Amino acid sequence: MMVPESILCTKSHEYLLEENGLYTIGLTDYAVEQLGDIVFVELPEVGSEYSKGEVFATVESVKAASEIYMPVGGKIVEVNEKIVETPEILNESPYEEGWLVKIESECAQEESGDLLEYSDYKEELE
Amino acid sequence: MLQKTVLYDIHKKLGAKMVEFGGWEMPLQYSGIIDEHKTVRNTAGMFDVSHMGQFFVFGIDALSFLQKIVPQDISVLKKNHAVYCQLTNNNAGIIDDIIVYYLDKNSYLIVVNAANIEKDYKWIVQNISQYDVEIKNKSQEYSMFALQGPEAHKIIQNCGISEADQPEFFTIKETQINNIPVFLSRTGYTGEDGFEIITKNENAINLWNFIFENGIKYGLKPIGLGARDTLRLEAALMLYGNDLNEATTPVEAGLKWSLALDKKSDYNGKDAILKQLQNGISKKLIGFEMTEKAIARHEYDIYQNQQKIGIVTSGGYSPTLDKNIGMGYVYTVQEIKTDSIIEIMIRNKLYKAKVVKRPFVKKKYRNKIDTL
Repeated sequence: MMVPESILCTKSHEYLLEENGLYTIGLTDYAVEQLGDIVFVELPEVGSEYSKGEVFATVESVKAASEIYMPVGGKIVEVNEKIVETPEILNESPYEEGWLVKIESECAQEESGDLLEYSDYKEELE
Repeated sequence: MLQKTVLYDIHKKLGAKMVEFGGWEMPLQYSGIIDEHKTVRNTAGMFDVSHMGQFFVFGIDALSFLQKIVPQDISVLKKNHAVYCQLTNNNAGIIDDIIVYYLDKNSYLIVVNAANIEKDYKWIVQNISQYDVEIKNKSQEYSMFALQGPEAHKIIQNCGISEADQPEFFTIKETQINNIPVFLSRTGYTGEDGFEIITKNENAINLWNFIFENGIKYGLKPIGLGARDTLRLEAALMLYGNDLNEATTPVEAGLKWSLALDKKSDYNGKDAILKQLQNGISKKLIGFEMTEKAIARHEYDIYQNQQKIGIVTSGGYSPTLDKNIGMGYVYTVQEIKTDSIIEIMIRNKLYKAKVVKRPFVKKKYRNKIDTL
């Protein structure tokens, strides 16, 4: 599994990845490994807006339901329909196929101060 | 401080993710819950269930004492046979659900839930009064495994016990595996054929390894508590603390089949049970499957016509059916029947579900016509 170099991670295990002015949000490899077999994903509607720290999605493994938080505030512009149909993609490919949503964010710069680079995030886990 | 089973280091070596359960640090999963679940349904899996408790009951009053503490009729139990029943309080509330094994004259084994060992022991001892009986809580001395799945009987045969010598469904045998003395019973908690094996702690690692050596060619894998829960839910087997508690009677829990309705002798909670059988109950256990895409979980509310009518006690994803299923109690006992449409409140939204018959997945016990 390739971890994109420029991702930023939250302590609640979401990642944020900037690509061409949009931001992709997903779950880290550590998060999906801890959750185990993911069997259900509930995503927000395109166009809805959330602020940093708000719950915007729910991911359920066989064992339990987990709420997913916005790493930064923004407006949902695209959701990954593929993972709603086939949730196990999240386990198999958290960074490539298994992203959750893409957002537009004007406050990403100022709100991402407390996010961690992947290497620091991994260190925190230990 | 969490307790550890004798096999703790083996679980860690096998890469198990551990979890707290009933005061014990137990394996939640090894290869993954869905993979483990399918392994048990298709071939065979082995669970370390050493957290469960074993009480031995001895004495000339052993039978009459057991008759007093469970609604089931122990007097009709043949030697080496086992029966599922409940420890009931005076209101017929379920203190625990247990299996009673008739080992020999004046000698019985009771297997109880891990989280209830102390509570059960206290309750049982409280009930001794005039009975000439001795209760020994040997939970700390014994380990217990469950070998479950359609290939389980072949693995036990490979371990040296021929099909003809294997105990039949819901019976127990004192025998040896690899020269290790064991209680070998044809019981389990998955809805599959299989065995539960009880042995002294000092032999547990040996026995575990020996069964794996003999089971590997049948695809035997270690199975954690995660798959144990999904397997038992598909078979609609009760989980104490979720589906059963002291405020619930066996009649309400749909366990009438495990009561001796014509039992003559007195037992704890008899009046309450007879009253419910005669006058009806105010809550009952139902099984349901979600018809809208959502997963019901323990303690979610059940609705119908905008009214809260009950509560989910167990719910989750069924790997065998690829559906979301659950069980719970409803208080509108008369109105809710098979095929009734209900709703489950999930994250402040109602999702439709349909009441279905239990079990969700047909049990596949061998040498037995499934009447439950």
